[in-house]
Amino acid sequence: MAESQGNDASQGSSGGQYAGPRAIDPVQEHSHDHDPEFITRTKFLSGVAVAGGAVLTAAILVPIAGFAGADAVKTPKDQWVDVGPVSSFPEGQTSSIAVSGESQWSDARVFLRNKDGQLLAIWNRCAHLGCPVEYLKGGDNFVCPCHGGAYNSLGLVVAGPPPRPLDRFNIKVVNASGATVGSVGKVHGSWSTAGLDPSARLLLGSPFSIDSNQTATRLHDPGEPVTGVLSNLYPF
Amino acid sequence: MTTTDIGPKGPVGKVGEAVGEYVDRRAGAKTGITWFLKRNIPSETSWFQTLGFAAMATFGLQAVTGMILAMYYKPDPTTAYSSIQHITNEVTWGWLVRGMHKWGASAMIILVFLHMARVFLFGSYKYPRELTWVTGAILLIMVMFMGLTGYLLVWDQRAYWATVVAMNITASAPIIGPYIADILRAGSNFNPDTLSRFYSIHMLVIPGGIATFIGLHLFLVSKLGITEPPWAKRAMRARRAEEAAARAAARERAPQGRREVIVEPATKPVVTVEAGQ
Repeated sequence: MAESQGNDASQGSSGGQYAGPRAIDPVQEHSHDHDPEFITRTKFLSGVAVAGGAVLTAAILVPIAGFAGADAVKTPKDQWVDVGPVSSFPEGQTSSIAVSGESQWSDARVFLRNKDGQLLAIWNRCAHLGCPVEYLKGGDNFVCPCHGGAYNSLGLVVAGPPPRPLDRFNIKVVNASGATVGSVGKVHGSWSTAGLDPSARLLLGSPFSIDSNQTATRLHDPGEPVTGVLSNLYPF
Repeated sequence: MTTTDIGPKGPVGKVGEAVGEYVDRRAGAKTGITWFLKRNIPSETSWFQTLGFAAMATFGLQAVTGMILAMYYKPDPTTAYSSIQHITNEVTWGWLVRGMHKWGASAMIILVFLHMARVFLFGSYKYPRELTWVTGAILLIMVMFMGLTGYLLVWDQRAYWATVVAMNITASAPIIGPYIADILRAGSNFNPDTLSRFYSIHMLVIPGGIATFIGLHLFLVSKLGITEPPWAKRAMRARRAEEAAARAAARERAPQGRREVIVEPATKPVVTVEAGQ
């Protein structure tokens, strides 16, 4: 605007108005106040302030969030807990033991089932909502006091709301010299007792979930089915 | 006796007025209190509209009793239960304050639901008060969460297993459920950190949120005013007038000759019998 006025004045085309030289030429202002594309100093510094504030806030909030939640969602390390010699779990019995020690599974109750020549470690956490199941010797089955879930001798669901069988713990057997005689990972979940030294120590590892065919999968929380359409709701 | 001098006479009244004046000049306290408390309300406002304040009062009760209980309670798996036994059986009036906190919690939940029912049945959530409803819904969630986290702190068998089940229900939510549950219980299982985490959530995290949202809720209530009950005479008159106007407008819009004719409903068919047959 100011520029065009100056041009007009120099050409002397403004009819009736003084067109000669002026004592003070109009200041040629380059104002970008009304140009939304142009980044003014004010805009730039405002952006710097907002970005700097965001960085500083993040520098406070990110460590807080990590401190509050990161360890909680971390997958626990594998730890082996010695639960005694093999001979303390005699053939034909299901013994109830409490895991103790430094493991994060300490205070878990485990049923060691030594039947049909196989050793199984069944966790007492109900697969429905995590209540402690009880072993009934008479019926050789597990029942949950909360919502009526019932499992057979192997921990497979026979009644009630549980969406999958009882979870199991990995087992490892170590002999007196400390050598690992054998270990059962997530493949079978049970271990043959044939030819085992009764003084060899039995160790419990991490728990894992099984489906109704006793095929092992990663550990699931209670209430999560491991097969079927609904298992896709729990991808992690 | 002159009636023009009605200000405070005694020194206490004068000091009080001076202090009020001092604060008002600087903080606008009188304006704020007038704006907040001396509002116009509908003429048929009843006891039903006091439920919200009652719920807030129970929050105050829970806050005060909770602060004192926190002085004696020890959020550690080995000492939590015995510290509660100590509060209940040995500390002076400990049984009373703990009982107030326990029964106050139930009273708060009941009052919150009665308040919500009142708002729903009066239709008070409608325009322009939707945001008041939304802040109230967030308050409801936080109050329920207070109930969940406070229940575990008793640290007896019932509290423990009820919370185990509650956490596993949380974990069974699709996709993010396991993460939420892991963060709440500080791991994939109950562990010694779970109790102190629930304690922190119960007495620091959620109360701060509740206080903040009560502030927002009250601001909106004060700004928008409260609704009259649906049976208010003024509202009924207004509704009747609106309906009459709508009917009149509909009649005006209908083309000539097709206007709605109000006919008396025939109660029984008219039978004419011709004489002589």
